[in-house]
Amino acid sequence: MASSSMFGPNNPGAFWTGGPAPGQFYNFPGSQSTSAQNSSQRTLYPVVTGTSVLGVQFEGGVVMAADMLGSYGSLARFRDCPRLLKVNDTTVLGAAGDYADFQYLSNVIQQQVIDEECLNDGFGYTPKSLHCWLTRVLYNRRSQFNPLWNTYIVAGIDDEKPFLGYVDKIGMAYEAPSLACGFGAYLALPIIRDAMEKNPTMTQDEAVALIDRCMKLLFYRDARSLNKYQVAVITKAGVDIRGPIKSETNWEVAHMIKGYE
Amino acid sequence: MMGEPLSDYKAPVQVHFSPYEFNGGTILAIAGEDYALIATDTRLSQGFSIHSRESPKTYPLSEKTVLGCCGFHGDVLTLTKVLGARLQIFEKDHNKPMPTPSVAAMLSTILYYRRFFPYYTHNLVVGLDEEGKGCVYSFDPVGSYEREFYRAKGSASAMLQPLLDNQLGGKNQQGVERQAMPLKQCVAMVKDVFTSAAERDIYTGDSIIISVVTKEGTKSEQFPLRKD
Amino acid sequence: MSILAYNGAAIMAMKGKNCVAIAADRRFGIQAQTVSMDFDKVFEMGPNLYIGLPGLATDVQTVHSRLKFRLNMYELRENRRIKPKTFMSMVSNLLYERRFGPYFVEPVIAGLDPKTGEPYIASMDLIGCPMETNDFVVSGTCSEQMYGMCESLWEPDLEPDDLFETISQALMNAFDRDAVSGWGAVVYIIEKDKVTKKMLKTRQD
Repeated sequence: MASSSMFGPNNPGAFWTGGPAPGQFYNFPGSQSTSAQNSSQRTLYPVVTGTSVLGVQFEGGVVMAADMLGSYGSLARFRDCPRLLKVNDTTVLGAAGDYADFQYLSNVIQQQVIDEECLNDGFGYTPKSLHCWLTRVLYNRRSQFNPLWNTYIVAGIDDEKPFLGYVDKIGMAYEAPSLACGFGAYLALPIIRDAMEKNPTMTQDEAVALIDRCMKLLFYRDARSLNKYQVAVITKAGVDIRGPIKSETNWEVAHMIKGYE
Repeated sequence: MMGEPLSDYKAPVQVHFSPYEFNGGTILAIAGEDYALIATDTRLSQGFSIHSRESPKTYPLSEKTVLGCCGFHGDVLTLTKVLGARLQIFEKDHNKPMPTPSVAAMLSTILYYRRFFPYYTHNLVVGLDEEGKGCVYSFDPVGSYEREFYRAKGSASAMLQPLLDNQLGGKNQQGVERQAMPLKQCVAMVKDVFTSAAERDIYTGDSIIISVVTKEGTKSEQFPLRKD
Repeated sequence: MSILAYNGAAIMAMKGKNCVAIAADRRFGIQAQTVSMDFDKVFEMGPNLYIGLPGLATDVQTVHSRLKFRLNMYELRENRRIKPKTFMSMVSNLLYERRFGPYFVEPVIAGLDPKTGEPYIASMDLIGCPMETNDFVVSGTCSEQMYGMCESLWEPDLEPDDLFETISQALMNAFDRDAVSGWGAVVYIIEKDKVTKKMLKTRQD
């Protein structure tokens, strides 16, 4: 201990048995040690989580969707968690993973948007710049072993062109014409990629219908999902966040399952 | 039962945090007499998922220097940003682009700076040296580097390297010395070996970008690979 | 470190036009230390049938002798030569008997059908899951390198001489990029009425 060695070899020892040495603090029995009180809290696992986010580009815009469930492990804990954030008239942010980390970052982003607005110089976040900034924030947090436990999908219109970008909790990032995270990457993305290959010039209505179909599919097969979701449509005209939308589901195939009526 | 109602409470899912991920990718570089060639595939994957089919791992650093960089894509993005900034500073200071051998030396120190929390990246720097000859520098993730004539790096490197030894290095061929291959033949061979690698390596595929550096500048061409 | 890579080995087999080839390195080592350079890993199991056993050297020899015994019993009982495919089943069976305490070998089989002369090659994992192919099979500590070489060099319907050149180049360049295999090689070119055994001198490092 550093403070006991300040007496050199003539260490006076503790004041009483189990007590503090001169110049040190007394640890009350049962309380945590002082070193633990100085340590900081890190996200080492997610707590309240959101599942998939889907995004797809169409002719002249982007659609993005996420359901509104905040899961607490396997418990469907919160049923009204919006996971799409309208950043400005060209940019929307969608988040999966730890909901608290998303709320924290939402606050930071919204303050930044206000600060930018106050400068009144006509500059603001573009989807590309927000995506780039997010890669740096998430990468720096992972490098400090204090990650923001999220996967973010940035959608918007950049330079009149549709933009979709992906960033995860370790700062892995890329852009693509269709994106999904979580279970959506396994269940919905193959369907979206297939639809885009067959119809490379998708219209807005076709893209929204495709996303609706995929959200329904995810509700059927992803146990951490909810049939209440939001859809953001970003075009030159601006950002339109629709919802909450409810999927029309059909459980006739489940005729063997009884007792939940 | 009163007492401690939450005593059997456990955190929902215990997930371990790992700051690294392997995103695949293969790079291959060859130094010719008056050219340097670098080829990479364009697949970005993670486990059994493919994130992107259009993510080349070549990064043009200047008119006559190209970096090939694969491994953990988060580190790739950061490293290329750092390099880009350092090169811009150099250009503003000295009013000329940094020569390829100097880029290689600088990259080595940038990598070694993170010796105890390394950039998980495999790097190749290609370009022309002061005499206008093609040069290839290959690096390990912590900055050890050497100049070579040819090198394969990344997920399918073990499949490509022995073939380059044979075809370019003249290894195991009696009476054959290492000789520079004409560019056209070189490009054909690169397409061949990548097609072979894509057969067996799940982290290599979709397409390749072949960039050739000559004294006229850098030219790129794309070639399709299998997409499964 | 895997027990399969304790001694180091590189073996491959290839199909040609009415012929097959099997080739192996000659090294016997204990981890990084080379002990001898004349170790047999390819064994004759009939006039036109060979098996290569890369893996733990003690198991290579045990599996070889147990296989030879079973093969002798088969040929005495049936009074005829075994077909390569039947032999493959025999190897597979022997290995699967030790499903939960396996022999650490991953065999490669190459041969011609004793009646029709049809080329046959196969490889197997250490518990006997077989894989029959129409081009080539590889097994050993540098399988990635061997796959890279074979995938680029092999082509269909090679004549015996070309097959020899192909398999030799494929093997040598592959094991030169592996620290625990190499130190010379042996190649068998198996034709209907002739088997040619050639020893390759390679770099010794």
